[in-house]
Amino acid sequence: MVAIVTTRQCFLAVTLGVGLAIAGQVVAAPEIGPLPVLKVNEARAELGKRLFFDKRVSGDVGVSCATCHEPENGYANKDALSKGYPGNKHFRNAPGLINTAHKKVWMHDGRIGTNLNDVTREMITEDYIMNMDMRIMQERFKQDPLYVEMFEAAGLGEPSNGGVRKAIPEYLKTLTSRGSPFDKGTMSASAKRGMKLFKGKAGCVACHNGPVFTDGKAHNTGVKENFDVWLDPQRHQAFIAYAAFMGIKNYMNLKRDPGAHLQKHAADGSDMGRFITPSLRELKYTAPYMHNGMSKTLADVVGFYNRGGDNDRNKDARIKPLKLGKTEQKDLVAFLLALSGEPLTSSKHVWQEAYPVEYPVIANWLNVPN
Amino acid sequence: MGLFNKAEQKVPILLLIITVVVIAMATMAAVTFAMGDKPPATASKVSLSPVPVAEPTQPQVETFVKMADPEIPPLAPLGPPPIPADNPMSDAKVALGKLLYFDPRLGGDASISCATCHEPEQGWSFAEGISRGYPGTVHWRGSQPVLNAAYYNKLFAAGSTPSLESQAPSAARGGVAGNGENDIMEARLRLIPDYVNRFNDVFGEPWPTINNAWKAIAAFERTLVQRDTPLDKYLLGDKTALDDQQLRGKVLYEGKARCILCHNGAFTTNEKYYNIGVPRAMRWEEDGLAQVTFRFEQYAKGTTEEMYRTIKDDAGLYYRNKNKWSMGKFRVPTLRYTKYTAPFMRQGQFYTLEEVIDFYDRGGFDEEGRTTSFPETKTPLIQKLGLSDEEKDDLLTFIEALSGDEILMDKPKLPPYKPLFTRAELQTAQVEK
Ligand code: HEC
Ligand code: HEC
Ligand code: HEC
Ligand code: HEC
Repeated sequence: MVAIVTTRQCFLAVTLGVGLAIAGQVVAAPEIGPLPVLKVNEARAELGKRLFFDKRVSGDVGVSCATCHEPENGYANKDALSKGYPGNKHFRNAPGLINTAHKKVWMHDGRIGTNLNDVTREMITEDYIMNMDMRIMQERFKQDPLYVEMFEAAGLGEPSNGGVRKAIPEYLKTLTSRGSPFDKGTMSASAKRGMKLFKGKAGCVACHNGPVFTDGKAHNTGVKENFDVWLDPQRHQAFIAYAAFMGIKNYMNLKRDPGAHLQKHAADGSDMGRFITPSLRELKYTAPYMHNGMSKTLADVVGFYNRGGDNDRNKDARIKPLKLGKTEQKDLVAFLLALSGEPLTSSKHVWQEAYPVEYPVIANWLNVPN
Repeated sequence: MGLFNKAEQKVPILLLIITVVVIAMATMAAVTFAMGDKPPATASKVSLSPVPVAEPTQPQVETFVKMADPEIPPLAPLGPPPIPADNPMSDAKVALGKLLYFDPRLGGDASISCATCHEPEQGWSFAEGISRGYPGTVHWRGSQPVLNAAYYNKLFAAGSTPSLESQAPSAARGGVAGNGENDIMEARLRLIPDYVNRFNDVFGEPWPTINNAWKAIAAFERTLVQRDTPLDKYLLGDKTALDDQQLRGKVLYEGKARCILCHNGAFTTNEKYYNIGVPRAMRWEEDGLAQVTFRFEQYAKGTTEEMYRTIKDDAGLYYRNKNKWSMGKFRVPTLRYTKYTAPFMRQGQFYTLEEVIDFYDRGGFDEEGRTTSFPETKTPLIQKLGLSDEEKDDLLTFIEALSGDEILMDKPKLPPYKPLFTRAELQTAQVEK
């Protein structure tokens, strides 16, 4: 029972290493194209939806998943660096969650390579994210009659932390892009020219490929550090806790985000600053960009690639000046925007009913089983 | 974290004196603390000599003290608390411990400190039957006074932790208490320059560590003691410190009322575990949030599935040894300082000392005749007492003589966070990467 709660130790061993392979040479990149359809268990997804927006999933009932992953922002967040659990702030950008169920590796550093059940557990238990002892969470939900009903309907028995970690990933499956001009074949001429650049001269497809536009690997693209991570002690404290836990050497003196360094811990630090290639779908809603929100707009991102990224001696060789003209840059942005579909902000994806403010008392408590 | 804006501490002189004395006597601790078991000659004489019996109608009152049973050490003046060899006291350590005790950054969401549940103005505890919990929760037991806790060999109502050093982390981390993880709390301390300096001074290590934080808090707690109650003064030779009524109460305490059987020795507890008949807290039947925590505690304490489903009361010592004869047994608490620590018993079942005395007088039953949920383990030591109203009053005034003046303390001003690096240092690192 205890193993369920000890925050991260348990699955870390499992997931590390499974995570990602070193940036390989591009062998015929998987085609970009429409997303496969995922089979969804409706009752479970509905339960997951209620959980996703419920602050009682966090230790002090201060934050829900949606506090950081907001529907209007493509389930990402307008802040360059994410909020944190009260008393803390995060040191990375909250990624958008649309299509996250189509990925095989998660987090900017790729530290989870198993499944969304593990990601969900990490989010719920991590001190600076939701800081929840899942045993308390489970007992909270046994005290909410609607959850008791919904868990049952979802075939998950009585409310349990295992059930929560099944239901939320099921809900995340429903967050799948639909209706982008790219998928519908209704792209503008500019976007079409942009797609050509994307696959050709600009070389983007080397890393951003397949239906989700990611190779699931980590690369160093030379993104500048966001100094707020260190200048705001509430972020720095979370960063220290993270780096110490990941076994990064000299973590008190660390002035850069190590990224996927935690996979192999190269002694010379040459694997510092590599991050998992993100998806390029739904970017219309998810600004700012990069693991630390250092690019405010898509034009900034394209400008960044056009100048060959920023300073880093271990930068990927493919990140080099592209010499794109003004129109070419606009076309590339137009293509990126054509990868966004309709916002997922209706009641189909968002739990809109109020949550009870109190836990109703179990009547006749002495005579019913706990 | 400008949570506390009050001016710098205004420690009552009394406490300062105690602090100084404690530190001065630290080296003698081993010798003087033995007083709990074997009081010095004067004190034992006071305790053992027949006390004038005020009520001539009951001259035959037995006193357990006269039996000189080693199991029932007499009341004695309280010596200084024991100081563990691996955590010696120093002024700087105590000063640091005090800051940490009041600092909410040693809790999950940086909103509650030790002092939130152990408030100086609330008898260094929390004045509700069941303590407040971490935000979004309620606890499941009453908060115990931190004052004088330094004398216990085992802490918590069920005696689950052996030292103040190991108690603090379980308080700061428990899901319904501080809910803080070590790594984040340690990281916070390292970004508070004043703490970095103080930890460095006290422990000689480059960075604050969470274990050293617990050590400093434990050292601070060892200064929170009261040794100058009327009873202490009386036992040390000041015959005017107790009045006649209190002396009559003392006789009852040591005899007819049987309190001395368990609440004995200098610290007024034998630290053993008994089921004395305290009934279940009503709150679990009336409050959904309390029901949530009740089940969580069963789960967290590793009870069997069957027990988790059926249990409806706090099983106390049972959670530690899983022996059914331990069901519903709790550690005998000290009666010192109880003037300020209402309500009483593990879930504050009684609001006043009068109610407690009535409960004992009835042989372990409350006003409505309610008693323990585990009758099979109730101790035979608790019996109907047949105390008259006057005797109850006498006993009460004596129990009150186990408390001295109230010990208060202002919240200290807490040192602020500061970034560890300058923008220029970050810039240099950026260029070099
Ligand atoms: C306090 C803000 C916050 C809360 C609350 C939060 N997240 Fe996150 N989430 C983040 C941040 C920041 C990251 C990126 C962390 C990293 O890369 O180290 C992230 C990453 C993720 C990812 C990985 C996405 C990817 O593509 O790699 C998923 C999935 C996710 N969160 C789901 C959830 C769920 C489900 C919940 C609620 C149970 C939740 N999050 C609660 C901030 C938050
Ligand atoms: C060598 C592999 C690689 C190539 C080539 C590449 N990218 Fe990226 N891209 C990445 C990685 C890795 C990141 C994440 C970097 C970070 O978070 O610091 C990223 C981030 C992005 C982002 C930000 C997405 C977000 O949600 O934050 C956009 C947009 C983007 N790339 C577009 C492009 C375009 C357009 C091109 C071609 C001009 C391109 N990329 C070429 C690997 C690559
Ligand atoms: C949310 C409220 C809460 C917070 C915060 C809290 N405590 Fe407690 N404390 C309690 C309760 C309730 C008990 C009794 C628990 C039991 O008996 O199981 C207790 C018991 C104790 C005891 C045992 C006393 C005895 O008689 O055995 C000590 C010592 C103590 N706490 C110190 C601390 C310290 C030091 C901190 C800060 C690190 C702290 N507490 C934080 C509620 C709290
Ligand atoms: C058999 C041992 C025993 C005897 C005899 C006994 N007590 Fe107790 N006392 C205990 C135990 C055990 C507790 C804690 C019970 C609980 O929390 O459920 C306690 C608790 C108390 C408390 C509450 C203290 C607090 O901080 O909550 C008071 C007051 C008290 N006793 C007074 C007395 C008095 C007065 C007498 C004599 C009339 C007496 N006791 C006799 C064992 C005993």
